[in-house]
Amino acid sequence: MNCFFTVVGLCLCIFVFCALYRAIFGPGVFNRVAAISAIGTKTLVLLLIFGLLYERVDMFIDISMVYALLNFIGCVAAAKYLESQGGIE
Amino acid sequence: MIVQSEDIIIRTIARILIPFIQIFALYVIMHGHYSPGGGFQGGVILGASMVLLFLTHGYEESKARMTEKVALLLSSVGVLIYAGIGMLCLILLGNYLDYSRLATILNVDAAHARSLGILGVEIGVGFAVMAVMFSIFFDISTGGFSPEDKDNGV
Repeated sequence: MNCFFTVVGLCLCIFVFCALYRAIFGPGVFNRVAAISAIGTKTLVLLLIFGLLYERVDMFIDISMVYALLNFIGCVAAAKYLESQGGIE
Repeated sequence: MIVQSEDIIIRTIARILIPFIQIFALYVIMHGHYSPGGGFQGGVILGASMVLLFLTHGYEESKARMTEKVALLLSSVGVLIYAGIGMLCLILLGNYLDYSRLATILNVDAAHARSLGILGVEIGVGFAVMAVMFSIFFDISTGGFSPEDKDNGV
């Protein structure tokens, strides 16, 4: 089972870099906001997989909840900024 | 300046989510010595809930909950709690923040007094961090000019 979680974690790491490419080069602000949000979600799952590998899920679930929360607030803040400033580069 | 959001989805989600965020922040502060977290992290989560309130409901609707004046007061109170507990240990003939000395006034044994002392210090740190986080957000969003200043004609 540990091997399975390690493979899932490695795949998620690769997908994080795919999203990072979109966040750096992606055309437009909206792509960047969506990519950063996706990176946050993947990091959340990665934290839980770390918890499963170290057999301390009860500790890591707190951290991942805070991560999800701050990701949501960051997304709302970015959307609010785009609403007032417009999404033109 | 942060203005009220028209979107009903964001407003409703924020209204439902904010109490849970604050409960979770209190949990992080209270269980700081058993699990990851503590005063600083809990304070950041509390501050994030205030930031979410201001982002979604705007200044006019949220100023009853939190203003910059209250934030400054709370940050000072947090530092006062931290330094006060430390000085109390000093007055009770221990070192600075030597919680075991609190056993004499709390009327419990030394190990219990240490636990309570750490909890008190973390509550103080939580207050200070929450207020400072909110204050930073508020200053950035208003550009340094508080609406209260305009009301007073400054």
